[in-house]
Amino acid sequence: MAADLLSQAPRRRRGPSDRRTELLLGALAVGVLALIALLLVTVLAKAWPSFAHNGYVKWFLPGGDVDTQLTGIENARQGAGEALYHLRAWPLLWATFLTTGFAVLFGLVLSTLAAIFMVEFAPSAMRRVLEPVVRLLAGVPSVIYGLIGVLAIAPWVGEHLISEQRKESVAGVVQLTGANLAVAVLILTVMITPIMVAISASALASVPSAWTEGSAALGVNRWRTVWRVSLRTARPAIIAGAVLATGRALGEAIMLSMVAGGRSFAPNLRDGVTVLFEPARPMAATLLAYIDGISDPYLAHALYAIGAVLLVSCAFLSLAAWAAKQPLKRYGIRA
Amino acid sequence: MASTPQPLLPPLRPSRTRTREGAGPRDSLSAWPLIDRVGYALCWAAGLTLCAIAGAIVLFMLVKGISYLRPSLLVRSPSAAPSQSASGGFLDPIEGTLIITAIGICIAAPVGVALSAWLAEFHRPAWLARAVESAIEMIAGVPSVLLAIFGLLVFAPHFLAFLSQTSAGDVVYGKSFLIAGIMMSVLALPLVVGATREGLAQIPGHVREASYALGKTRATTLRRVLLPSIRTNIASGVTLGIGRIIGDTAIVVILAGGTLQLTGVGRAPILSTLRGTGSSLTSYVYYNSPVGEGHAPQKAYAAAFLLLMVVLALNTVVMLLSSERSLNPIAWMFTGATGRRSRRAGEPGV
Amino acid sequence: MRPNRAATISLLSAFVLLLTPALAGARSLLLSGSTSMFPLVTQLGALYHKQTHQPSPRVGQGTSGAGIDEVAAGRVDIADVSRDPIIGVDPKGLVFTKIARDALCVITNSSNHLSNLSQQLVEQIFTGQVHSWSEVPGATATGPIDLIDRVASSGTQDAFEDIFLGETLKIAPSASQQETEGGMRQAVIGDRNAIGFASFDFISGTNPVSYQGIPCTLRNAKSGQYEGVRNFWMVTKGIPKGASAKFIDWIINRHNTAVENIIKTEWLPIF
Repeated sequence: MAADLLSQAPRRRRGPSDRRTELLLGALAVGVLALIALLLVTVLAKAWPSFAHNGYVKWFLPGGDVDTQLTGIENARQGAGEALYHLRAWPLLWATFLTTGFAVLFGLVLSTLAAIFMVEFAPSAMRRVLEPVVRLLAGVPSVIYGLIGVLAIAPWVGEHLISEQRKESVAGVVQLTGANLAVAVLILTVMITPIMVAISASALASVPSAWTEGSAALGVNRWRTVWRVSLRTARPAIIAGAVLATGRALGEAIMLSMVAGGRSFAPNLRDGVTVLFEPARPMAATLLAYIDGISDPYLAHALYAIGAVLLVSCAFLSLAAWAAKQPLKRYGIRA
Repeated sequence: MASTPQPLLPPLRPSRTRTREGAGPRDSLSAWPLIDRVGYALCWAAGLTLCAIAGAIVLFMLVKGISYLRPSLLVRSPSAAPSQSASGGFLDPIEGTLIITAIGICIAAPVGVALSAWLAEFHRPAWLARAVESAIEMIAGVPSVLLAIFGLLVFAPHFLAFLSQTSAGDVVYGKSFLIAGIMMSVLALPLVVGATREGLAQIPGHVREASYALGKTRATTLRRVLLPSIRTNIASGVTLGIGRIIGDTAIVVILAGGTLQLTGVGRAPILSTLRGTGSSLTSYVYYNSPVGEGHAPQKAYAAAFLLLMVVLALNTVVMLLSSERSLNPIAWMFTGATGRRSRRAGEPGV
Repeated sequence: MRPNRAATISLLSAFVLLLTPALAGARSLLLSGSTSMFPLVTQLGALYHKQTHQPSPRVGQGTSGAGIDEVAAGRVDIADVSRDPIIGVDPKGLVFTKIARDALCVITNSSNHLSNLSQQLVEQIFTGQVHSWSEVPGATATGPIDLIDRVASSGTQDAFEDIFLGETLKIAPSASQQETEGGMRQAVIGDRNAIGFASFDFISGTNPVSYQGIPCTLRNAKSGQYEGVRNFWMVTKGIPKGASAKFIDWIINRHNTAVENIIKTEWLPIF
């Protein structure tokens, strides 16, 4: 608005300080943009040999134990040919898919209900308590979640929930410990719920009050109003929150490396309930686990390839979240 | 007429189940169909679960922390000794946290404010503005472990060797406090940008118009009028950034060298520590947990308790700074520089 | 002076200071490698700094294999390696210097009072042929055996396979893998049915098992009766030179009693 006014006003020479400031700040903006572009380009360039040698599709397929392959890359010396790059990263992708998928699913349910509670049903005292609670859960560092998981939750699960028959049923293939898929999904859900609660609550509260009041005037009870009117309106925000939470869950390395089990194993859904107790190490955690070997140039290609997959996924998810929020502008809802 | 910004959550209106005198039949829960009552109960359960989880985390860390945290731990340096009682405290990790946070926020704060000022006031050429906005949204979503491995790549060339040190094989070591701090600033940037943009968007148009009418340039208006008036927004953005930096582990584990004590490079007074390696509270907790060395879970608990207290204190500061904004700061954390161009304060509300 | 100008000048001078090589001073040694050797090397480094006033060596850790990669790439000056050199796998041109020896113990959870394992049982358990504690005489644990292994780049794992399992046998791939010695210790402490192996420095809180009738103690290791002894090496690219040579020579100097006292606490001297 002010800019329009300025352009309509009689032409005045824009002062030298304006031009200087604009150039300076513009250069800064270009610098930041260049940095991000550099990030994308260098990670992708460093990752390319791994994809090229394995085949762009074959890299993602199952084909053996990822740990063996990664150490094989590290130990192979010059002239070893294909062994320098051989990687089939399906167990990592599957583990990421399982942990992130279940965490976002459970988190979505929990956070939507909690957001509705905060906006609609909570007495004012509880609302005053819930806001700091959500802020607290969002602010706890991931290493503390991991510490509680590995020192308190995982040993308890290992002692009390994993029976010896269960261990025998998979003996020889994998060992069941307290650091497993179930604990990882549980803690990851707790970590990503606050994001979704914040965004959903913000959007639910910004639904035009005329609509909710109109619904109440028609005799619809509060729950139905929320379910049919507010949630529908805030749906883009909830989706955007879920997408952002997925991005967060994808990138979680520290907590998952502490509680998800020490093997890059692809949990086998055909094992039934036992699958909950199998170890699984998602991509970001695997990256962290092998980071000490990054001086080895061939292992570096493999690790950066894993990083490139993560980067592309997260970039894609960020853009998707932005796109998901566009419909909200129609209603002027801030989220 | 919306001349003042509407609060995020509606003001705490009286509970709807309490009626005023002479009002009609109330919306009593027993009149609801069963499925609606189930929904109501589930909502209560969800809210209580969140409170219970938060309470459990705080109580557990409180119990463990108070039993293991001694004041002596805060002032003694860690040393490598086989038994726990002799392995010292975590003074150096505390110093490391302070150093990394200082470097990170000293870079992120000015750059973030300048960037959002450019986005809000100048934003020309338009394609560049859109690109920068998308880039900042993207950074907000990038995992810190990726930023860390990017840091390993980008600080390897020789002209950047002054940031860390060079080893005997003439290879740049590439790990130091400066490098870790620089990558941390990238983490904090979207938060500062988001907060400042939020603040700038809420300044009514007539303030800018008045300044231009007095003959001031845009640059001067920014510097003298707009930015000073959103000091609290900038402060809460900076505090959020500090919180994010303090809580991050991956960048420290990968880029700060992993030595127990602060070991400097060379003999220059402050620069040697900045170019040197060390650890922070988060990497100290990581290394002392079973995933790292695992020798000292008690020390890990004590350090984790300290970390949690610091984070809680920062949260309180943010809450005090942004009194009526309620949950929006959390939304900033994860949405970066969400454009608020759709609804400038001063325009008639939708 | 206007504040802007003062700010610019101070920023520029700070920048120049950073770049001035004259202030670089003496560079500290960079070490990295075995997690088993980390406690020993950090203590030695601290003593080195105190005795000789050289800058404190910077010690990182990330398994012996990662250390070898880093020293070959020139990233660090010395690598700590806790297993003997493997021809064909180690890069060419590396020089290994022995600085100490270490006893490797088989460990079980402290509730499992297994007192002795024969060579055959060790082989059968660690290769996965024997699944259950009921088949192991002397074990008080019941149920399936939980094997804890180290990651493949670990020097301790290579040393264990060499000494206890012989040339051809390898540890079962289904074992859960720990990155560090501390991680191995925690895993064994936390699991009633666990069995693993660790350096003598890391066995507190677990039940060390005698090997072929000989208990795993420093005295038995020193006398040669206990067979599970491996070497600690410091690896350089080419013959040690300059600061690296000074440090290594200081450690292996026979007459340095302070160094020997540190080594004797949990490890074995080389002579």
